[in-house]
Amino acid sequence: MGDQLGIIVLIKQVPDIEKVRFDFETGRLDRSSAEAVINPFDLNALEAAVQIKEAVGATVTAISMGPKAAESALRDAIARGADRGILLTDTRFAGADTLATSYALSSAIRRLSSFDLVICGEKTIDGDTAQVGPEVAEFLGIPHVAYVEEILEADKKRIIVKSRMGRNYYVLALRLPGLITVTKDVNAPRLPTLRDKIRSRRAEITVWDADSLSEVADTRLFGVSGSPTTVARVYAPHAEKRKGMIFRGNPEEAAEKIVGVLKDLRVVG
Amino acid sequence: MTRKIDEVAEIFRGIIGPEWVITERVYMESYLRDETPDVSRPPAAENLILLKPSSTGEVSEILKAANEMRIPVFPVGGRTGLVGGCIPTEDGIILSLERMNRIDVDEENLMATAEAGATLADLIGAADEAGLFFPLHPGDEGAQIGGLISTNAGGVRAVKYGVMRNYVKGLEVVLATGDVLNLGGPLIKNNMGYDLMDLIIGSEGTLCVITRAVIKLYPKSGCSVTLILPYDDRSDAIRTVPSILRSGVIPLAIEYVEIKELNKAAEHIGDEWPVQSGKAQLIIILSGRSEDEVYSACEVISEVAEENNAGEPIIAETRDEQERILRIRSNIYTALKAEMVDILDITVPMSRLGDLMNSIDETSRKYGVYLPVYGHAGDGNLHIHLMKEGGEVPENIGEVKREIYDAGVRLGGVITGEHGIGHLRIGELDRFISDKELSLMREIKRIFDPNNILNPGKIFPRG
Amino acid sequence: MREMREEGDVLVFAEQEDGEIHMVSYELIGKGRELADRLGVQLSAVLLGCGIEDGAYELIYRGADSVYLYDHPSLREFDVIRYSRNILSLVRETKPKIFLIGATRIGRTLAPRIAAALRTGLTADCVDLDLDDGNLIQIRPAFSGNIMAQIRTRTRPQMATVRYRVMRMPRRDTSREGRIIRRQVEVIGETGIEVLEKIRADEVNLADAEVIVSGGRGLRRPEDFKLLEELAEVLGGVVGSSRPLVDDGWISKDHQVGFSGNTVKPRVYIACGISGAPQHLFGMRDSDVIIAINKDPSAPIFNVSDYGVVGDLYEVVPILIRKLREELKGRE
Repeated sequence: MGDQLGIIVLIKQVPDIEKVRFDFETGRLDRSSAEAVINPFDLNALEAAVQIKEAVGATVTAISMGPKAAESALRDAIARGADRGILLTDTRFAGADTLATSYALSSAIRRLSSFDLVICGEKTIDGDTAQVGPEVAEFLGIPHVAYVEEILEADKKRIIVKSRMGRNYYVLALRLPGLITVTKDVNAPRLPTLRDKIRSRRAEITVWDADSLSEVADTRLFGVSGSPTTVARVYAPHAEKRKGMIFRGNPEEAAEKIVGVLKDLRVVG
Repeated sequence: MTRKIDEVAEIFRGIIGPEWVITERVYMESYLRDETPDVSRPPAAENLILLKPSSTGEVSEILKAANEMRIPVFPVGGRTGLVGGCIPTEDGIILSLERMNRIDVDEENLMATAEAGATLADLIGAADEAGLFFPLHPGDEGAQIGGLISTNAGGVRAVKYGVMRNYVKGLEVVLATGDVLNLGGPLIKNNMGYDLMDLIIGSEGTLCVITRAVIKLYPKSGCSVTLILPYDDRSDAIRTVPSILRSGVIPLAIEYVEIKELNKAAEHIGDEWPVQSGKAQLIIILSGRSEDEVYSACEVISEVAEENNAGEPIIAETRDEQERILRIRSNIYTALKAEMVDILDITVPMSRLGDLMNSIDETSRKYGVYLPVYGHAGDGNLHIHLMKEGGEVPENIGEVKREIYDAGVRLGGVITGEHGIGHLRIGELDRFISDKELSLMREIKRIFDPNNILNPGKIFPRG
Repeated sequence: MREMREEGDVLVFAEQEDGEIHMVSYELIGKGRELADRLGVQLSAVLLGCGIEDGAYELIYRGADSVYLYDHPSLREFDVIRYSRNILSLVRETKPKIFLIGATRIGRTLAPRIAAALRTGLTADCVDLDLDDGNLIQIRPAFSGNIMAQIRTRTRPQMATVRYRVMRMPRRDTSREGRIIRRQVEVIGETGIEVLEKIRADEVNLADAEVIVSGGRGLRRPEDFKLLEELAEVLGGVVGSSRPLVDDGWISKDHQVGFSGNTVKPRVYIACGISGAPQHLFGMRDSDVIIAINKDPSAPIFNVSDYGVVGDLYEVVPILIRKLREELKGRE
């Protein structure tokens, strides 16, 4: 790779959150109810990688774990500027919680000869944990910065980023190899060209099963067997009991009532 | 109104209940305007009552009473029109069917039965829930079914499945006398005499009040993508449109847009337009049963684009990204509105789009005015915007408008493709259609509404 | 009484910024107290920073039995490596049964590293915690708040990050006593993360607002947020928004209330022209009092409201502003 940065982008294929339906009786997601897309935050991660590639030169490898069908997410990543895609797919990876997922992904990164920077989306829209990025960093023994809102500089040795924590923004220099997770504010992901999109439909995706990571990992720590947490039950969120007093008709009178309520609550004056 | 408002209101309170009869002006403000640019919108009358019935029966009683008392009735929908068509320009009744918003989807027959007050958003949602699709998208999703039909709405996605008229399979309407008529139905073939339903579609609330409609739905397409084709030269963009249609690919939509307005619209909603190359652009929405089908159509379009000197086409594939594009496109109007005097709606045969564009250029040069143009190129329908200059309405605006109208008609087109006549275009109708045609229209109006209580002062001049 | 040491304590990470304890830490002390009492174990907190001993007492006043204090200049600013290494040695030594961390950005940066190093389970962003036969039941939303899930952890400690303002704030009792245990700080020089600059953020803070006036699709144009700003101003509150308007760029993201925005818990939440999509309800349903103004009497927002006005916000809000101003004037 020489002087070029080796960038790894972790992506996840997720169901379209606005369309997906949940079957509360079986506790399962009806995946057929929605198209599968790249997790939107991961598009920001990919765009960040491609921008660094354009600025200073880099090879961008997209890695995903999921069913065989997730190859389409990696092809999409290639259309958007990734140089190659690696899919971890095996029933032994399935049913992983964030710890087992992070372990498998970090093992795949270990198997690659070298890398400088790992970029992840802040979180996924289905799991919403924001845990995989930091856990991967820990497994790889590299420092990380989460919630990056701006990338100011990047070279082979370090990346300078802006991140918000609590009441403050921090401009941080992260030594490489390192990992960052990016928010939606970091960039506006571009659209792929039709030409790249069509070409990527035929792109070769590297597929690794659990055994192909056996030299760098303990395969018993993948999937369900490596997952310390289990989902005991799922249910629909319920609305709380409220007073439910409704005023209709004359807005003047309704407003009078509301003012009365606000006075009783002592928020006026 | 000859009678006192209080007296009339009391009658309607008896029909629909006191809470749904609104007489205080301050509570009806939003019913007194539509989306017409402020400087062109006619003012609302002084003495008005707003009625919100909940059933066809109530609508019938309201119209019967209004007809007996000779009180004008102005039916309103979502008030998203652009020609002042629903503005209550005379003392009378504003009739909003917003409480009548039920939608039932018949999945087997691919039809929805919707009450007139249901919104476009409701219909899209109900269809989606049933695994079906309502392709048409005339901009603002707050538009109501009754309004969409009364104005025969068009909009972006009309290339493949047509305009509102092509979707309406049945109507329940209330005549000025209070009689309720059921027209059409979920049938593909129906030759029982004159087609009154088709006459009512697009009649702008002047013949009757639509209370319910049977609307055709389509199966969801397996795959949909949006392409953006950038061009340095707008005539190349325009020439691409018929070439695409001749290639056998029928997109859902072909929109002509210019980068300047797109950037304005994107800025207006705090976004960025994703394609910065090319002065003129085509937005093409494709749908099909499978990804392979859609991508093979993409390849055809890619070739046609290249032959017509397009730059590198960009593709949006996820729902999020496609909605973003449509959202920015849909906001061109809102972004320009504050500075706008009027939005014209010329439609010409597709082969003459280039000529229309050239003629607009010429007018723009001749009068030294900024005339932003975009529109539904796939339907030959372009929106030309007359803008203020330095915050003022330019003095020569009338001449500019007339010249554009004349060019449209000279090229075999019409002065309105989808917005209708409403209030703003009344003066033009007799210039562009024959006396005979106009008098037939007037006779039809008289037969339906002899006392001229339904949306008076629209389409035809008063009196 | 059960054997305490074997059971393991409940441990809470006490987050501080610029020396000030984050309120979510007190909320966790409150919940942790309840869990510890039910389990018959001790509740301790771990606090890292520089010159923060006063904060340690505050944690005791709120309910902690003991506070592990790491007070050292190297811990003045949050550094995920320095913080996690010191906490790891504490956890390995004291073996807590349950370890709770606020689901703030700092908490969500720190907790996964600790969990991965311990090879233990971590449940993100919990909105409730319960016990079942001595084991922790962690309740959290998933799929952008469209479903709720109960999670169990088979490893120890059972780690969870917990959302701000979902747990009750415990009363401050200065007569409470507890132990402050000063810990030897492992000083790590180079961590690979260097702070070059620290800039105070000036965005609106919805999470701490007492009154929030939010707008939704019922607003017709971006400028109309001014109307809501006026109402918020009269009430000493701030303006919030539902997601679509933020997506459309009508208002900045820091105003967004909902699953993908801020979870808020003000004393009064006034929803103007908000229909009440699940994603929005999630972010505001724990407000003390909810008032909704919406034209559509069937809008779901009314189902979670204490007081609802069926009407056009463009009519109702100006009247409200006028009446409230009259009210204020009368008091002067």
